[in-house]
Amino acid sequence: MEYADAVNIVREKVEELSNCSNLSEETQLIGDGSVMDSMKLVELCLALEDEATEVGFEFDWTSESAMSRARSMFRTVGSLATEYAAQSEK
Amino acid sequence: MTVIITGASRGLGAAIAERLISNGNDVFGIARNADQLLYDSVSCDVSSYESLKAVAKRLRQEKREITGLVNAAGIAAMNLALTTTEASTQKILQTNLAGTIYCCQHFAPLMIRRGAGAIINFSTIAVAIGLKGESIYAASKAGVEGFSRSFAREVSDFGLRVNCIAPGPIDTDLLNGVSDEQIQRIVAQQVITTQHTKDDICDLIEVLLDPRSNSLSGQVLHVGGA
Repeated sequence: MEYADAVNIVREKVEELSNCSNLSEETQLIGDGSVMDSMKLVELCLALEDEATEVGFEFDWTSESAMSRARSMFRTVGSLATEYAAQSEK
Repeated sequence: MTVIITGASRGLGAAIAERLISNGNDVFGIARNADQLLYDSVSCDVSSYESLKAVAKRLRQEKREITGLVNAAGIAAMNLALTTTEASTQKILQTNLAGTIYCCQHFAPLMIRRGAGAIINFSTIAVAIGLKGESIYAASKAGVEGFSRSFAREVSDFGLRVNCIAPGPIDTDLLNGVSDEQIQRIVAQQVITTQHTKDDICDLIEVLLDPRSNSLSGQVLHVGGA
């Protein structure tokens, strides 16, 4: 999966769950200024897992640094899309 | 509508599965050796994160409607901490504590997807009374209680309830090697000083699985009182 495709998927899911529109790759998903709370973040993970299953790969959202503002894949739409695209190639 | 039961081949797990099935529930059993189970089940060691992940994936792909999870798998050592081997210590912690956590991690999302579900974990009276000769077992179950209280808050907004049942001595394999005198000493420390049965535990399981228990989460229920 190309990064741009992953961004579109993640952005679309985040927009659905957050009721926000016109989100960018820099949109924060955790911490101050995030458009998501932890509950929505779990729902996002489940939605991305379902999407991954449909296209034939397994999305593992567990991470040692899930809540780290510096290293988490959930920092932004872009960082999550990077991880999602990478896992689709495994 | 399926209830997942771990430790389903023996002891409390087997009794709970039998009770739920006899009352018309669909049960999915997990046991280290599930070959002899006559209902839908899988052989899987709850201490294996990856094995449980595969089971959860299977259930998700089958689109099973999971309504409950009963984490009944557990082992005990009946040994002093000072005379327990490292291997035994690891096995108790891995099965009782990590196994419970892994099952919750893998199976809770199946219930989150449907917006409701009840998780029932097992503790023990050994935690409340600081039972001598069971310190490692008690430590693993104290961990289960702590995990359950916190996890209950983490999944509450998704409609999931998480509670613990903490029985006194129940007549199962776990009591092998424990004398009647020892059992009576433990029972004497309960509020209700009679030894309870598998049936009492099954009754409580049915109560906690029932949607009428929707106001109950994050609790440790001591069977017999402690």
